Amino acid sequence: MANWTQTSQKRLQSILSVETWLPDTMPEYAQGFMYMLGSLTASSFVVLVISGLVLAANGPASWSYNGAMRFVAATHFWGVQAFFFFMMLHLWRVFFTGAWRGGRGLTWLVGSIALLLAIPTAFTGFLINGDLYSEWNAVQAKDGLNALGLGWVNLTNAGQMFGMHVIVMPLVLAFFIGLHITRVRLKSVVPPYPDKSSPETRIQMRERGR
Amino acid sequence: MMDDVVHDYRMVPEDFVKHLTVTLVIVVIVVLVASMLFSVPEAKPLTIKQYAETNPVGFEEVALRALDGQGRIANYGPPYNHGTGNVESGIQQMVGILHPINAAQDFVLKPLAMAASINPAIRPPLKTFTHASRSRQVFWESQLSLALGHAYQRNGRVMLPSGEYGPLAPLLADTLNLGRSGLMSGALIRNSQVVTRFDNQNYLMFLQGAPLHGAVTPLQLKGTQWGIIHPAVKGYPGAWWMTIPTWIYQWPFVANSPANDAIALFLGLLAWLLLALTPWIPVWNQVPKWAGVYRLIWKRYYQEHQKPSDRLGDQGGARSVRSS
Repeated sequence: MANWTQTSQKRLQSILSVETWLPDTMPEYAQGFMYMLGSLTASSFVVLVISGLVLAANGPASWSYNGAMRFVAATHFWGVQAFFFFMMLHLWRVFFTGAWRGGRGLTWLVGSIALLLAIPTAFTGFLINGDLYSEWNAVQAKDGLNALGLGWVNLTNAGQMFGMHVIVMPLVLAFFIGLHITRVRLKSVVPPYPDKSSPETRIQMRERGR
Repeated sequence: MMDDVVHDYRMVPEDFVKHLTVTLVIVVIVVLVASMLFSVPEAKPLTIKQYAETNPVGFEEVALRALDGQGRIANYGPPYNHGTGNVESGIQQMVGILHPINAAQDFVLKPLAMAASINPAIRPPLKTFTHASRSRQVFWESQLSLALGHAYQRNGRVMLPSGEYGPLAPLLADTLNLGRSGLMSGALIRNSQVVTRFDNQNYLMFLQGAPLHGAVTPLQLKGTQWGIIHPAVKGYPGAWWMTIPTWIYQWPFVANSPANDAIALFLGLLAWLLLALTPWIPVWNQVPKWAGVYRLIWKRYYQEHQKPSDRLGDQGGARSVRSS
């Protein structure tokens, strides 16, 4: 059996390399605002983690009696909006550029899982806010969870929702976001579709035809 | 094998740390400015006290439905009790009772028993009710249920037409008083095993029917009103990323089904699967190619690579190999 440590070293070499994470060159086609959307989504997640840490350290209801905490709650709220806004733009960009091509299917799948996980992550946050929106959505959404056999998730239990929103969901989501970004860095961003009118494609097509 | 990607492109200088810093600064500025300008939407919650004060007849109706087992939670089914009123799937049945609720006891009789230790006048009617036969209780409940339809409030008290309600009329008046006092929340969320109060289940379940439905209908928050994507405070964004599942809820065959939640969420998950498995779904995975939007996104790349002069210029630059 192979040496586990050596196998790990080999596998982790590129994942942990500075060149992977801090590239000083990029493909010429990966320029401009369209190629900032993923980073803007990840940056929004960073803002959410930082504002979330401040909120968690002070308690989920602190916004209701402390002006400064209300401001932090506002940054968390708008951070969520930014996160989903940029994620949706990123989704449109990667869809319309067929970003799964060239062996990048897993990157796409992991990103889709992150999108799915982001929904309950945000939702549990709305539930621990304690306002009308919280109480309504807790009783309204329980029927769907119960129907799917997920009744152990008790949306009206603020303690369970606090744990879900502050620890469980962010960790799981961060794992999938991390995996997604790691795959993007290792595989780079997808190159353009071959354009039949370009000289390169004509040459490639001629070569393939031989 | 043809993998549908170009292989001919240059690597150009990039300052990735600057790129990440710029995106972070952009988000921080956007979030701070939005927070300063718009703060955060917080809709005042509906409390039991508030509902008891503003809608005493409705409050007594809610309490009576908990008592007679006609309420949605009283007759819900798993994971709360053995009811049958809201069982949407076999798996819901299989999960069993995880968060037990006996609405009559938990929402009305136990809170009244606690209140009786402060106000002993509650004790005799409570004893009469609990010691009566079930058929007698049902008779009183049905009589009062009909009467509440014709009841009105005067100075916060519920005025009933005369009838045979046994001890129920004073008991529901006592429940209303308990609600108005603000003490009912403590009676509903108490847990003698622990002193922490994390679990608001019974408080929210008491309000979940007519009280909360009445509060959110003007705000368009109900499921049939595309609820989840609407905010509780007008002018703010709601959970707009739930637009597709919310849309599915509006489909007539979903909306009219008793298992609407199960169907809507199942279809929502199918829609997500279609997205997640896009790379492996024939035809669907060719849509972006046919749509041609990529030509706009990579307009510059295609323009530059159509010029023969660029091909010559490229030869000296860093050229990629297959990047897959």
